Order: sequence, then structure tokens, then C-alpha cells
Amino acid sequence: MLKTKTWVAALVALAAVLAVLALALRHARAPGTVVEVVQDGVVLRTIDLARVTEAYSFTVTSADGGSNVVLVEPGRIRVSSADCPDQICVQRGWLSDQAAPVVCLPHRLALRLRGETAADAVAG
Amino acid sequence: MTKRLTRAALLTALALILFTVEAQLPRPIPIPGARLGLANIITVYAMFRLGPRDTLGILLARVFLGAVFAGAMMTLLFSLSGGLLCYAAMLVLRRILTDRQIWVCGVLGAVCHGLGQMLAALAVYRTAGLLAYLPALLLSCMAAGLFTGLCAQFLVARLKNAKGLSL
Repeated sequence: MLKTKTWVAALVALAAVLAVLALALRHARAPGTVVEVVQDGVVLRTIDLARVTEAYSFTVTSADGGSNVVLVEPGRIRVSSADCPDQICVQRGWLSDQAAPVVCLPHRLALRLRGETAADAVAG
Repeated sequence: MTKRLTRAALLTALALILFTVEAQLPRPIPIPGARLGLANIITVYAMFRLGPRDTLGILLARVFLGAVFAGAMMTLLFSLSGGLLCYAAMLVLRRILTDRQIWVCGVLGAVCHGLGQMLAALAVYRTAGLLAYLPALLLSCMAAGLFTGLCAQFLVARLKNAKGLSL
């Protein structure tokens, strides 16, 4: 039986490590401006954000009928609306700000930066 | 036997109610897969009061029926892998925790649930970039698990002293 104090210390340490990692990943900017629109593991579109001169949007429809509207502007991309229940992909906002991809789990859609990010390197 | 079955069914129903009510609440943080996980209260409680076998039954019934009620069979895979990893962790924790440390089981169970979800998501989406969410997801799991674990701990303590109510 471990003492409660030991548990508290171990869990606080775990939380601290996770917080540092979370902050580090938040500031890790992925290099490159080429974005892939991926659904079910298939790359639907590849867009070089540096070459976008005019804003446009397109709709991605998933196999089970859900749809996401993707908005592309010069240098940035986001999901502007979706008919999924949680709307997490819309709340995430612009992809260009962060290393992590914008993901819509219900429709198995992801907007991700191409190229090696820290997370890609870890997963091999 | 009948009593055992009734008790498990009652707890499953409670877990499903918590699960359904929670699904109606707006999500506080925009991290894919992050939830409060109120149904975890029931899992932790059952683990410490009813034992592993009944808990597994309650967990599986809740995961399957929850996916049916929510109408999202896709999430079944995530809740199932998360739930089973969480269950495995709790199997160990129930042996080494005292009644006043049940909250630890909530925290570590939730962390394992998050890990299991992430593993399933990686297998399905094959997008390694999802790992960038992992630390933030696990942190939110720890916070949510602390809350649900404490709830379960209070529940165990109170219901132990309650007369004429042997749930």
C-alpha cells in the first residue's frame, strides 16, 4: 500500500510532464506551407498555402453523408462549418497557428501540414 | 444471483443516464476525444464494491448501449479500446488502493482511457500528427478523472454507511 502522499506526488509529477509537453507541442510550428486534406487516410487534396492568392472554399462529403466546408485563404486554412455534432473541427480555427492537425473525428477528416513534425518523427 | 443481476442492471442504467446527459452538455475544451466521463464514476464504484466481473459486464453494456443511444457507432471503437485499457488499469489499482485513495483509480483510469482512445484513433486515421494532442488530452483526462474518482470515493463511503440500502 502506497501512502496517499506518494500518489499525490507521482500524479502531480505526471501532470507537470504532460503540461510541459503540451506547451512544447503548442509552440512547435510545423515547417512548410503545404497542407493535405485527408479523409479515411486518403489524401483528397494537396494545397500549397503560400500560393493561394484568393480565398475559396470547398465541401468535403464523407462516406456516411456528413459534410465539412473547408475555407482556404492566402497562407491559412480552416474548417468553416460542418454538420457534425461536436463542431470541434470548426472551433479549432486556422490550421496555420499550430502544429497539430485540425481533425473532424465523426467524418474522419483531417487538415494537416505535410512534412515532418515532431509528432511524425516520434511515430516513425 | 437475481440480486446481483439487478444491481448490475441498475448501475448500467445509471451509467447510461450519466453518459446521455453528458452528451447534451457543450464541450468545454476543443480537444478531440476530451470529455468529463461521468460514467466513469459508476465504473470506479463498481470496481471497488462489486468486483471485476460485474464491472466488466456493466462497462461493456454501457459502452455498447451508449453508442447505440448516441447514434455514433464510429465512436464505439474509441470508447471500447479506452474502456478496456481503463478496466485493465483498474484491475491492478483496486488491489493496491485503500478506500481513501479511490480517487487515484479515477485519475489513472481516465488517463488509460485517453491512451486507449488515442491508440484506436491512430490505428483508424493513421495520422501521426494526432499525437500532438496526446499531452493535452491526457491532462484533461487527469482533471476529469480526479473529479469522477472523488465522486466515486464519496459514493463508496456514503453507501457503505447507508442503512437498508445495499447497492
